[in-house]
Amino acid sequence: MSFVEIAQVLYDSQAGTALRESVYAFPIVEGVHLIGLAFSVGLILLIDLRLIGVFLRNVPVADLLQPLRPWLLGGFALTILTGISLFVAEAAKVIIIPVFPLKIVAIALAGINALWFEVKWARRSAEWDAKPVLPGAVKFAGIASLALWGVVVISGRLIPYLGAGL
Amino acid sequence: MTSLELFHTLQSSSISSYIGHQDHLVGAVAQLFHITGLILVLTSILVVSLRLLGLGLVRQTVPQLVKATARFVWVGLALLTLSGIVIFLPAAEHYDPNPIFWFKFKLLAVALVLHVTLYRKVTQTEAAAPVLAKSTAVVALAAWFGIAFAGRFIGFY
Repeated sequence: MSFVEIAQVLYDSQAGTALRESVYAFPIVEGVHLIGLAFSVGLILLIDLRLIGVFLRNVPVADLLQPLRPWLLGGFALTILTGISLFVAEAAKVIIIPVFPLKIVAIALAGINALWFEVKWARRSAEWDAKPVLPGAVKFAGIASLALWGVVVISGRLIPYLGAGL
Repeated sequence: MTSLELFHTLQSSSISSYIGHQDHLVGAVAQLFHITGLILVLTSILVVSLRLLGLGLVRQTVPQLVKATARFVWVGLALLTLSGIVIFLPAAEHYDPNPIFWFKFKLLAVALVLHVTLYRKVTQTEAAAPVLAKSTAVVALAAWFGIAFAGRFIGFY
């Protein structure tokens, strides 16, 4: 089945239709998706600003990442769950709008960047995170993360503007 | 002058007309600045409030976190205000009968007053009274996240 066909099945599903036609549920799910941004994109923004040396630069990266990681992951779980719900409700309409796959690709790349950073750098943070100047690769991960999540938020907001019938 | 009369005057202004005649993607850009400001403010309040509740960045002091996030709050509020004006002006009259619109702004007024009084007082010391600290955190989170939620709902009315 093609993406378009899968999207149509989701769109026509009972769950998708119910959410799309609801008076309160859809706005609430969308509202929670937006609030979730503060816990996911917002907290990662702070971590990225630390990696590029702009926020709490005297604090070792591990001292920020370790306590915030559970909140970050919880925030992303919430944002992704509400995001999937919103997608199911509007699947057939959004799948044909180019900024939508752009958003998904940017999320995937941001996830890969985060995973790479976790595996290659975060594990041995004691070796590098108290230095005044952080390794180039670490700064790159921060900049890449900022850029990618920026693309995600921008393309997300543009979905209703660049497609018909939303 | 009623609010509707004021909003009519604002909507009829030349700056409002100028904004209203722009491509509709200008509206999208305004909303993106609004979302950016929103994330800056909410995340700053979140980090400090979690700390007041003894959660999150517990190795840093409250004053330290307030100091580090203060500029994000002010930049965020500036972005929210400017983008908010661009969003509001071309359709000002349309918002007048919307109760969610009024609720949001009343809540915003409360949040701002609390921010420069209670929140400021409680976050100045490294060890505020626990009950006061936790209550302030809960109120700040409820107020600011409530504003964001109500703001999103304005469009659904």
